[in-house]
Amino acid sequence: MSDDSGLWLLLLGPAGATGLYWGLYRYYRNTDKSHAFERETVVDAKPVTGSDQKIGQITGTRETEIDGNNVQSYRKRVKRLESDTG
Amino acid sequence: MSNSTRSSPPPLPPYTGPGSPQDVPPLPGSSPLDPATLPEPIRDELLAPDPVAIDTSSDELKDGLNRCPKCGASDIRHKPGSDLLICLYCRNEWHGARVEEEFGLGIGLDELSGTVIASGARDIAADAASLMTFKCTGCGAEVTVNTDNAMTARCHWCRHVFGVNEQVDNGAVPDAVLPFHIRKDDAVARIRQFVDKRRFFALKAFKEQFTPENVVGVYLPYMIVDGKASADIAGKGEIQTRRYTKGSGDDKKTYYDADVYRVERHVDFTVDDLPLESSTERGNLDTRVNTNNIINTILPFDTKNAVKWNASYLSGFSSEKRNTDVQHLIPRMEDQLLSIARAQVEDSVERYGRGVRWEQERLDVHGTRWVSMYLPVWLYSYHQPGSNGGMLHYIAVNGRTGETMGSVPVQQWKLLLTAITVGTFLEGIALWIVGTSS
Ligand SMILES: [Zn+2]
Ligand SMILES: [Zn+2]
Repeated sequence: MSDDSGLWLLLLGPAGATGLYWGLYRYYRNTDKSHAFERETVVDAKPVTGSDQKIGQITGTRETEIDGNNVQSYRKRVKRLESDTG
Repeated sequence: MSNSTRSSPPPLPPYTGPGSPQDVPPLPGSSPLDPATLPEPIRDELLAPDPVAIDTSSDELKDGLNRCPKCGASDIRHKPGSDLLICLYCRNEWHGARVEEEFGLGIGLDELSGTVIASGARDIAADAASLMTFKCTGCGAEVTVNTDNAMTARCHWCRHVFGVNEQVDNGAVPDAVLPFHIRKDDAVARIRQFVDKRRFFALKAFKEQFTPENVVGVYLPYMIVDGKASADIAGKGEIQTRRYTKGSGDDKKTYYDADVYRVERHVDFTVDDLPLESSTERGNLDTRVNTNNIINTILPFDTKNAVKWNASYLSGFSSEKRNTDVQHLIPRMEDQLLSIARAQVEDSVERYGRGVRWEQERLDVHGTRWVSMYLPVWLYSYHQPGSNGGMLHYIAVNGRTGETMGSVPVQQWKLLLTAITVGTFLEGIALWIVGTSS
């Protein structure tokens, strides 16, 4: 409906103001910066091994990606399993 | 009461999560803002060049002593811009020994087993004193060195220079030191350039008091870790099989079908010279209360060129003392190893176009090697007054590579006003579109 899309458009002002505020704030204060050790450390890795097993299907979802996609959030810890070697 | 009339800024970003230093930092040169759409003065700031980081490489090094090997004088300094020591009496110059060769640090990463701790990285004794007293052999006077912030002191009477060179068990003496290469005037220029790019919204008092000449050269304590580890990561990934729309006109919606996979990955790897802050204060990157993430950002250093500990390199610089032992740093090291493993396996899950949700991870650390090191940092600081003691802002320059990062305090009202003005302008456009389309 045109009402719906019009109301959505009205968020442009607040969204633009907030985006600009945070963009400039970070440019000055750099609160989002840290040492990118993932790409700046010398890492020597053997070829990655593993398995891929199809376990199901999804039909008719409106989500564009998997729920909780964290493939690039390297620093977001997930459930840690105990190691053998302690 | 003036506070109540002032509009308050949006809350600071949380300690963890997107926009915090715990998030994977943005790629160099990438910005969340598109300069083209911004007013000219802001655009000029954003587009101005960044300070250039220079690449340094060091020559091979020879053995060093605390007394001049030629004339025996004790007045020895680090020669700026090099890894050399120079005798101020006879101008003799010489190199310190590189720890890389001396301790064999570059080799055997793949055979690491257990926890190997270099002598300077041993636990700090609980009763360790900060003040160390030397009896001057020249005149008999007592000379005191406060190891909290200095490693050398000069006898006031006969000008002998004393350095803390023995590895006493107080944790004050590291295994190695990486000498300053970037000179002070170079650091001043880089800090000036960094701030020149951030003047428009900078706090007025900061701009008025800005004196980069007050930058201080500080040796900060780090643990440099080599490690051998394996990681297992498991989760679910989705591959899109179909994309279609239902409905028509404004009601048209997109739907997806996907296959779901159980994904498991294993990777064996070694890391070489991972740097960890070994001062509790510097290792705390909570951006709500400090700006230590700025100092963290200028890592890494060319730690391969570090030389065996010799207090003479520290003459004229201040230093901060390590207060963390290996045990306390292990959780942070493991956290970083897990992050590295997650980055390593990313390429292997490219086929999952709808992404992967990792749910479990496991780390096996097979071996680590810890070396305690002093790394050179130029620090310019500005104290912004405020509640809870205000905030100490740092602009830091890597003393080897020249990489520069800083925190410039912001004039909140000016930034808010600009944001609101731009937002109002955008809202005007939105209203106009809504008005003409209905
Ligand atoms: Zn000499
Ligand atoms: Zn004396």
